[in-house]
Amino acid sequence: MSTRLRKRQLLNGKTLILLGLIGFSLVWLLPFATVALTALRSEGDMYANGVFSIPKVIRWDNLTKAWGVGDFPTYFKNSLLLILLKVPLGILVAALAAYPLAKMSFRGNSALFIFFLVGLAVPIQVTLLPLVGMMRDLGLSGSVYALIPPYIAFGLPLQILVLRGFFKLIPGEILEAARIDGASEFTIFRRIMLPLSVPALAALFILDSLSTWNEFLMALVLTSAKAARTVPLGLLAFQGEHNTQYTLLMAGVAISILPVLIIFVFLQRYFVTGLTAGAVKG
Amino acid sequence: MRKTVKSARHIPYLFMAPALAIYSVFLVYPMFDSLYLSFFEWDGLSAKKTFVGLNNYIEFFFDDQTARKATINTFVWTLGSLVIPSSLGLILALALNRGGKVSVVLRTIFYSPAVLPLVGVGLIWGWMYNPNFGVINVILKSVGLGDLAIGWLSNFNTAFAATFVTYTWAHVGFPMILYLAGLQSINQDYYDAARVDGANAWQSFRNVTMPGLTETHVIVLSLAVIHGLKVFDLVYAMTYGGPGRETQVLGTWMYFQGFQYYHAGYGAAIAWVIAAFILVLAIPYIRRMSSN
Amino acid sequence: MKISIAPLALAAALCAAPAIAQEKITLRFANTFDAAFQELWKPVITQFEKLNPMIQVKIESTAGSGAAIYPDVLRTSMVTGAPPDVFFMWGGTIAAPFMKSGQARVLDDEYTKFGWDGRFAAPIKARSTTAGKTYGVPYRAMGMAFWYRSDIAEKLKIKLPNTVAELEQNCATLKTAGIYCASTGGKFGWHTGRLTEYFIETTCGPDRHDKLNALAESWDQPCVVAGFQRLRTWIDKGWLVPDFLAVAPNDSRIPVYQGRAFMIFEGGWLEGALKASDQNVQNYSFFVPPNDSANRRYSGFGEQWMIATNTKHPSQAAAFINFITDPAVQSQFKPGTFPLSASIGAKVDCAVTPMECKWKEVISSNMGSYLPTDQYFDKELIGSFYEIQDGIVAGKVTPVAAAKLFQERVVTWKSKQKS
Repeated sequence: MSTRLRKRQLLNGKTLILLGLIGFSLVWLLPFATVALTALRSEGDMYANGVFSIPKVIRWDNLTKAWGVGDFPTYFKNSLLLILLKVPLGILVAALAAYPLAKMSFRGNSALFIFFLVGLAVPIQVTLLPLVGMMRDLGLSGSVYALIPPYIAFGLPLQILVLRGFFKLIPGEILEAARIDGASEFTIFRRIMLPLSVPALAALFILDSLSTWNEFLMALVLTSAKAARTVPLGLLAFQGEHNTQYTLLMAGVAISILPVLIIFVFLQRYFVTGLTAGAVKG
Repeated sequence: MRKTVKSARHIPYLFMAPALAIYSVFLVYPMFDSLYLSFFEWDGLSAKKTFVGLNNYIEFFFDDQTARKATINTFVWTLGSLVIPSSLGLILALALNRGGKVSVVLRTIFYSPAVLPLVGVGLIWGWMYNPNFGVINVILKSVGLGDLAIGWLSNFNTAFAATFVTYTWAHVGFPMILYLAGLQSINQDYYDAARVDGANAWQSFRNVTMPGLTETHVIVLSLAVIHGLKVFDLVYAMTYGGPGRETQVLGTWMYFQGFQYYHAGYGAAIAWVIAAFILVLAIPYIRRMSSN
Repeated sequence: MKISIAPLALAAALCAAPAIAQEKITLRFANTFDAAFQELWKPVITQFEKLNPMIQVKIESTAGSGAAIYPDVLRTSMVTGAPPDVFFMWGGTIAAPFMKSGQARVLDDEYTKFGWDGRFAAPIKARSTTAGKTYGVPYRAMGMAFWYRSDIAEKLKIKLPNTVAELEQNCATLKTAGIYCASTGGKFGWHTGRLTEYFIETTCGPDRHDKLNALAESWDQPCVVAGFQRLRTWIDKGWLVPDFLAVAPNDSRIPVYQGRAFMIFEGGWLEGALKASDQNVQNYSFFVPPNDSANRRYSGFGEQWMIATNTKHPSQAAAFINFITDPAVQSQFKPGTFPLSASIGAKVDCAVTPMECKWKEVISSNMGSYLPTDQYFDKELIGSFYEIQDGIVAGKVTPVAAAKLFQERVVTWKSKQKS
């Protein structure tokens, strides 16, 4: 009798939490709802009926109009290029560095870890001028590829911090066993460290894709040519000096968040419980 | 047969070489370039720079009233950032650390603010806080709390807190993601053993989860401090440091001085003050907690 | 044997080229055009390139509102030695750093060569001149004043004021009808700043206002206090839409669009903005507000084109500027491509843009103008001004204390300039 009662209490408790979360999440979504509402209405409708009202007429053509403003497809392409190139490359470079920091003892391990951490302390604004000069000297001035080295460099401290933390959790016995079997360090890295850190890698992929997608200041200063610009700069084009067409701007925002949302949803499966269960038993 | 000791010694450095190279050239060098700059008075435009020694730093610590306000604001913000988004992120991660479509959807929802570009966040929340038509005040008035329907961002007393609410909304997803990854990495065996020992949910949490999350805690908390001390984007977009100078933080004040007021040297000095705070507060903590 | 035509044709073409081998050059043209404006300018660029086949114009636009982001991009490109050839610039103290640092080219020779003195009214050209040297070519001549809902004015029988007292009487009438007299957005400071500086114009008079802006007189004096007090009064009497310090200037138009506020201090660009926002331009007009003196002035400023000192193509840059400021050229393109042009003789279609026509009348009349304060003070000083302005609005500092406080800031700022 008591177990049945307990089960019911437990069920009610869980349901309550779930309901609470769902309610909370609706509030969380309010700003997005506003983006969507504003993107799908006419300017006149927005001003006449207020920002937070339901549009009288849904204007899907705003989305196509926004896509055609300026060179939106080009900016989109550039941002996608950055994500597909820079994010995996950066995480790989970080993982390569995190492995010895986590699992090998060598002279300078501590010092080098601190050296990388120090990068977290640097506000990005102060590096702008030297970087522009550097890119000019490298002949990359104005090209979207100019963003890749600094983006990687600025991503390294966080990624090394996270990956080193997760690499440390992998038991040393597995590595020793592999070494005894004659595996090279690189094989160990590829076949043991990386696969066992999939949640961390997925998390970093999400976080890094996002900061790359939305990065504004460095892109503003390093990519002058229109052909090299990224999405956040593209959104600037909707904001005139004396007037902003909010509806088109929000349509642009709506379009611009789609890829990163897709990446996030796609990478969700790596957060399923039990993926790393059995790490020791293998 | 083990590899010879000689070649094994180079391995760590080989692994680290690409990271070291990119990092030193594209981050460390510009960083020291700006340190050099902080000893000059320069408008960021002319060919001429004037050496002023430590004057920029002296001005920051002794003469600049707004710098003082910005410093206090930054520390208050950092404290808030340490506690609020982190705990909310942990709670959400714990609640959503399970399979199933509902969890996936909810996780996406709570993380989604991070996908919004800054211009979107600034604009929408500016509207939400608008004293006349903003949804916050509309709701307050409709439930009879009309007295509370003030200009949240215009009011000297509430602007900072109101901006921080937006910050929390936008930044809960970050610790949530990290905690989710951390929870995934706790070996299931420990939970099984605990259950066998008769532990209840709370004991399981305290004795298995929290210790298992130690590395994640270090990361989440130290990043909260670092991001808090560096905060710039959101404050700039939402309040522009106003009303008056009430919501200035070190990040925005550095930008104002270095870029708008044409005091590039002074701006660089403020950046290094921020860096110094981070180096003194966060790095030793990470180092201590993270070494075994 | 087949003779290939191609090499012969190529040789013929090369022989036809002028003796001095001319390479096609790229002229980089930096501006703040938003996407819609860039579209409008495509035919202009095409036409120029047609007339000058050796020049290719590359537009580098950095939009985004206000003088916030564009100067950063501009400055970075200059410091690293890769400036654009022709660039847009506002006037006054926004342009000053570029002139002072030697990054903007002196254009006195070009003025002589192209005869630009006859193209612009003297006071307009004066805005591009500093210490006897001219650094820019006028692009637009902007005027700002109170834009108002003419339909509401008609309904409530509100008459255009000739004195400040009449203006304030109108505000009282509107208040009784449940309408705010004016709307303003305090974020960034400059929009509300236009009101504050108008109030100071009314209490100190034009001459003293100019002296104050030039920092030739102390701001700690009764007329300044009265001006600050006027701002305070407008808030206390409920004539301004309340809680506006964090409202963005664009958002402050919303109450006016919705008929809940009567007027807003804006510039000639509002006509275009109204159209883009689907508002009925028929319901809007503007008036230059009175300042209780014989010398009524409008708030005005200019925008200009400049050439970078380190450009590699100064003559082509000048030719381009000559093209885009030529009123005959401007008339060839769609209305709205060269709005509010500073060039004498630029055509305005009064049927399409009636308000622009009205502004043209004002600007070409002998009505005087005063620069907005943020083009008199550098960014640092105007930052202090807005900070104190916010304090007055929030009731944190009285008008008396504000005047004193600002004068202290002026003194501090001045002493820093000497070092």
